[in-house]
Amino acid sequence: MNQQLDVRLVKRLPGFTLDVAWSAGDGVAALFGPSGAGKTLTLQCLSGLLTPDAGRIVVGDRVLFDAAAGINVPPQARHLGYVFQGYALFPHLSVAANIAFGLRGRPRAEAARRTAEVIERMSLGGLEHRRPHEISGGQRQRVALGRALAPDPAFLLLDEPLSALDVGLRQSLREELAAILSDWHVAAVLVTHDFAEAYRLGDQIVVYEAGQVIQAAPRSELLWRPASERVAGILGIRNVLRGSVVKASHDRIQFRWRGQILEAVNSPARSYLPEPDSSLAFFIRPEYVRLIRKDRGTTDSHHMNLLSGEIVREADFGTTYTLYVRLDNPGRPAQGDYDLEVEVPRLVYEILEIGRDRRWQLSMHRGSIQILPGSLGAESAS
Amino acid sequence: MSPEHLSALWLSVKVSVVATALNALIGIPLAYMMARRRFWGRAAVDVLVTLPLVLPPTVTGYYLILLLGRRGVLGAPLYAATGWSVAFTWYAAVIAATVMALPLLVRTARVAIESVDQNLERAAFTLGRAEWRTALEVTLPLARNGILAGLVLAFARALGEFGATLMLAGNIPGKTQTLPLSIYTAVQTGEAGQAMTLVAMLTLLSCVVVVASARLGARGL
Repeated sequence: MNQQLDVRLVKRLPGFTLDVAWSAGDGVAALFGPSGAGKTLTLQCLSGLLTPDAGRIVVGDRVLFDAAAGINVPPQARHLGYVFQGYALFPHLSVAANIAFGLRGRPRAEAARRTAEVIERMSLGGLEHRRPHEISGGQRQRVALGRALAPDPAFLLLDEPLSALDVGLRQSLREELAAILSDWHVAAVLVTHDFAEAYRLGDQIVVYEAGQVIQAAPRSELLWRPASERVAGILGIRNVLRGSVVKASHDRIQFRWRGQILEAVNSPARSYLPEPDSSLAFFIRPEYVRLIRKDRGTTDSHHMNLLSGEIVREADFGTTYTLYVRLDNPGRPAQGDYDLEVEVPRLVYEILEIGRDRRWQLSMHRGSIQILPGSLGAESAS
Repeated sequence: MSPEHLSALWLSVKVSVVATALNALIGIPLAYMMARRRFWGRAAVDVLVTLPLVLPPTVTGYYLILLLGRRGVLGAPLYAATGWSVAFTWYAAVIAATVMALPLLVRTARVAIESVDQNLERAAFTLGRAEWRTALEVTLPLARNGILAGLVLAFARALGEFGATLMLAGNIPGKTQTLPLSIYTAVQTGEAGQAMTLVAMLTLLSCVVVVASARLGARGL
């Protein structure tokens, strides 16, 4: 199936305005962002359950909504499968009747054949006559997916399918959902506020904040090259910092931070060339800050962007430790009472006896420092 | 038991059954509209339907006379056209009982419908069901217990209706004299033994209704 979904919509509610535009092709587009950002609202507009104030929604060559042209296809005729939060299975109907619900209007034999096929592919054999409250959470998810997929929709819309579940079940259902989505080759739009879920299930991720899209990108690009400080903040990226540009070329950026010159890799593809002395945002993931072993010295050529400082606090996360390091450089620390979060595996923590030894030299590989171009207020939705 | 009393019992049952059927016909769609739709005049309809619950039944009866009596707003043209008036017929007893029972059904059914998860209805929409089909296949079946409870209440209310019936239908033995009116008449004319028999009959009938509704409720989904 080669479906393209183009969404542009404005919906004004008291105290909130949704104003977004994005596109999705084959595969799964994950709408990701904090609660209240407008993701579910978008899904409701897509399905026709809610009418936008302005905009245009097109699936393939079918215009579902066009405010200017006065087109508003009702939800009954949009042919989109909607999987609701909590599944919304009909409690008074059997598993088979739930799955057959969207097949009304087809010849009886065809509907029966399709129902049987869906039950078979969803491994729900033997449960046909059970009610939704008589089956397990995983089976309920499969019934909900089967019910939405049975009429062969152009797109599947999934609203926080896993959010109501316990952590353990959540992971196994996430994997099952991933398997079903790829098995059925169905294009889908998935709403989630969990980045791991968005990354695992989404081929493309659309980042929502306060009713706007602040980045839409393939998932790996989003993870490694977030477009802005805001996106980095929503992704929960730590060590998002600000410096000032010294020199920028197509493949390198030198900048000053905490009185020191650091060097980072610039992406030629992005052609981001800020002026000298302009402000610049960057981040380094805590697990990419390296502690330099004292018995090896600093002469290794792969150490660059050298810093030294003292651990002021630490947090034990079981398998890893997070160290809060204040640099020796004069001036106010960048993040309250510390400059950098450093994450080390427990084994490293024990071998290096970090519990006793609090003063360390650190290095940051230039490839590990990620520049955030669309920052400092001058950003736009990409 | 005298034939007069038997006819009062039969009339009461007949009136209550017809009034309950009318309640179902009018009240269930009305309850659905009140629960799910925002329409112009909704608040006014709500007040109008609820009024018989709070007004003295004689006042409601008086309004019905103003509306349906021989010189009433609707009654006068009807009388002019056909020479027939609904007042003082058993139909009048049905109308009085229907109006008095309606708020009980509408309020109970409305709460039941409002408590149905709207995502279930939305799911039905996205699966191709029009709203009226969704109401018949999803909403009303799921609100079934509340609606049945409302119908039982409506039936009980219709069975016990006195004031409005007296106003609009009168108290004509064998014609519009229902069980409660018959009891009133028996007490008024000093026939204490007769009154006791009738009270026992009405109590028994009410017990049957209560037990039947409990059975219905226990069946659940």
